[in-house]
Amino acid sequence: MTPLLEVRGLSKRFGSVRALDGVDFDAAQGELTGLIGPNGAGKSTAFGCIAGAMRPSGGSIRFASQEIAGLAYHRVARLGVGRTYQIVQTFADMTVLESVTTGALLRHPRVADARAHAEELLAFTGLAAKRDRLGRMLTIADKKRLEVARALATEPKLLLLDEVMAGLTPAECRDAVALLRRILERGVTVVMVEHVMEVLMPIAHHVVVIAAGKTIFSGAPAEAVRDPGVVAAYLGPPLEAAS
Amino acid sequence: MSPRPHLIALAAIVVLGLLYAFGSKDAVTLDLVFTLFLYATLGQSWNWISGYAGNISFGHAIFFGCGAYAAALCTNAGLSPWLAVPAGALVAAALALVTGFPTLALRGHYFSIATIAVGALVDTYVRTQGWLGMANGFELPIKNGLGWLQFSDKGPYVALALGLFALVQLATLALERSRLGYYLRALRANHAAAASVGIDERRWKLIAFTSCATFAALAGVLYAQYTLFVDPPSTLALSISIDIALIGVVGGIGTLWGPLVGASVYVLLAKEVALRLGGSGKGYDLVIYGAIICLIAAWRPHGIVGSIIDALRRRRGAADVVSVQNPAEAA
Amino acid sequence: MADAAVEALTTFALLVAGGLLTGLVFALVALGLTLVYGVMDVVNFAHGEFLMLAMYATLGLALLGIGPLVGLPLVAAALFLFGIVVYRIFIRRLLAGPPEATVFGTFGLLVLIQGAAQALFSSDYLSVPNRPLQGTLHLGPIALAQSALVEGAGALVLTALVFAFVEYTETGRAMRAVAEDRVAATLMGINVQRINALAFGIGAACVGAAGALLMLSYPVYPTVGSQFALTAFVVVALGGFGSIQGALVAALLVGLLEVLGGFYLSPELKMVPVYLAYLVVVLLRPQGLLGRR
Repeated sequence: MTPLLEVRGLSKRFGSVRALDGVDFDAAQGELTGLIGPNGAGKSTAFGCIAGAMRPSGGSIRFASQEIAGLAYHRVARLGVGRTYQIVQTFADMTVLESVTTGALLRHPRVADARAHAEELLAFTGLAAKRDRLGRMLTIADKKRLEVARALATEPKLLLLDEVMAGLTPAECRDAVALLRRILERGVTVVMVEHVMEVLMPIAHHVVVIAAGKTIFSGAPAEAVRDPGVVAAYLGPPLEAAS
Repeated sequence: MSPRPHLIALAAIVVLGLLYAFGSKDAVTLDLVFTLFLYATLGQSWNWISGYAGNISFGHAIFFGCGAYAAALCTNAGLSPWLAVPAGALVAAALALVTGFPTLALRGHYFSIATIAVGALVDTYVRTQGWLGMANGFELPIKNGLGWLQFSDKGPYVALALGLFALVQLATLALERSRLGYYLRALRANHAAAASVGIDERRWKLIAFTSCATFAALAGVLYAQYTLFVDPPSTLALSISIDIALIGVVGGIGTLWGPLVGASVYVLLAKEVALRLGGSGKGYDLVIYGAIICLIAAWRPHGIVGSIIDALRRRRGAADVVSVQNPAEAA
Repeated sequence: MADAAVEALTTFALLVAGGLLTGLVFALVALGLTLVYGVMDVVNFAHGEFLMLAMYATLGLALLGIGPLVGLPLVAAALFLFGIVVYRIFIRRLLAGPPEATVFGTFGLLVLIQGAAQALFSSDYLSVPNRPLQGTLHLGPIALAQSALVEGAGALVLTALVFAFVEYTETGRAMRAVAEDRVAATLMGINVQRINALAFGIGAACVGAAGALLMLSYPVYPTVGSQFALTAFVVVALGGFGSIQGALVAALLVGLLEVLGGFYLSPELKMVPVYLAYLVVVLLRPQGLLGRR
């Protein structure tokens, strides 16, 4: 079976800076693929290119066997790619319910249908009690949750999560992991950028490591921590030495 | 929130307005009320693109002018101004489409200045066209009756302005509850996040822009039939666009009742200033509007209605917190 | 035949010279606007009204017997202080609000100042009594008004001064640091509020000086500012918001467009090429001709 997402030779230049310089990876249908790498490796830029927020300078992005590189942002969303942002981008003056309804309107053009769908997702993501709060009044954890609910409301085949755990307390992280498992159970394919390795390792089916704009590893999580290239680029000193 | 309170309020305004329009013989006050509803309509039209969608326009008068000139051309050609209703609306919609397509994706001041430029170009164009009366404008021939949209009393004009306002208000109420309304607010709040949920900015803003341009054109038709005179300074100039924006901002952008409140402030101030300080055109009214806008921008950026909504929401939000906290304390 | 060609060429040269001189004054006006925008991301919609105030101030001094050129530093200083006061009590608050607050707020200021001028001075066109420099200067076949020459030269000198200040002084460097990255500048110990106020003051001083120069050839009336402000918006957008060099180049271009358009099309159409240029540039190259990003 072909992977849902195939990224080949993805590159992105900002003037003379090469943020991405040949990133390759696949995301298999129904799996959680973790995208990791040191700060500034280009993970968020890769997300931006896949989601259509940025136009890649080169390479190919195939989603459900269709080339999407360079497609307009809203078109990529329409094809079934949902995303969250590293720095949360909520609709500040809309309530939680309104924000998620806005997402649901993509597949349910009638507001009443979209609302019903949004209510369901609020229950699913645990935001039901805060449905009438304004986006800007939420805590960071709830804003991130809201972004997930909003993206899910577009009924994506592929969900791109950009550091949804960053800045959360351990308890909030546990909730987020539980939510992530429920999302996977729905059959949504997830690609996730994450800094908190301990969180990612047990739930990821597959890990891709990016360093300096290139893919340097792709394989099982357990192997990633043993790969010398990854260890050198990202994990610092060998784990054995640390423990 | 249920639309019922809004509908009741609107029905009350319509009933009271009609009673007044056909009951009163006070020409001065009738004139004020006509202006009030005409400006409220224009303010609401502006509010669609500048309030809900967040593209602040300083060129909205051109759509008003489309309707006014359509009416003037029709009546002068011996045609009923009712023909100017679809004609003016169509021209305004086409103008909105042509100017909006390239400019609506511009952000912040880039868009605002582009609207000034477009407005000035349209104004200049009209001033150079013989068939549009050049800089001198047109008088409309005096006729009478509903077919000619001309009346010997002011009452029917007030009723028509009120009816137009009510229509636009209903359209806006529907907007707030529609896919378009959700999308405009999302685009205004965060265009990138809006695109990430599949919203095509250009498409939806163009729909809003063309729709609201037709409202302004309808107001223009009515205005021309009321004053029986149309020229660039009174229908197209930057100062008219600025008045429309003033009304929108004072009441509160992106709110259903903001334009009516803004227009009320505008009209009442115009009256008071004329009464106490001897006529407009001396600038006292501008000083007061300017001061109000400054105060609102610096201290109440959501306008009068927006501030009331915020206060209500805060009160409800506070109630939420209490009801959430109480069980915890009990436990 | 040859005579006609010579005459056409002379006319053209005259127009180019006039356009460039006008452009230099536009540059000084636009400089204030772009400086404020660069430092604090505010488009001051009341910029033209500051210019109008400066022109009235120049007129006032002239009525007291102080001519526009002698009065220039006084007017510039007065506008500098005015700018600082406006920043301290008003613009600072706008910056703390939502992004559209600066558009509305400065727009309100425009309405307020324009109304006040109408109330105080009526809508009449007023000129400086016994204007100096009424003669013409002949350069071969080209005759230029002395006042236009002095306006252009004065504007050029003042633009160069402000440019040198921003480029080469410690405070200017701090200003550029704030323009580059407000947060980083704060971390470096730069007092952003002080720099903002200063930039706003200098922006107002630019139109203060420009207003004094313009009184050599223009009358003043309450809405005189909007005409110049509209041009300044176009200049600043063409040059790239925040770019001083860009503003200078764009101002010369706009001066030429306006003068040539006014002559070869018709006086009423003189702004048409200018507005078209704005629309084309913001649509095709939103960063402006010389702007970055």
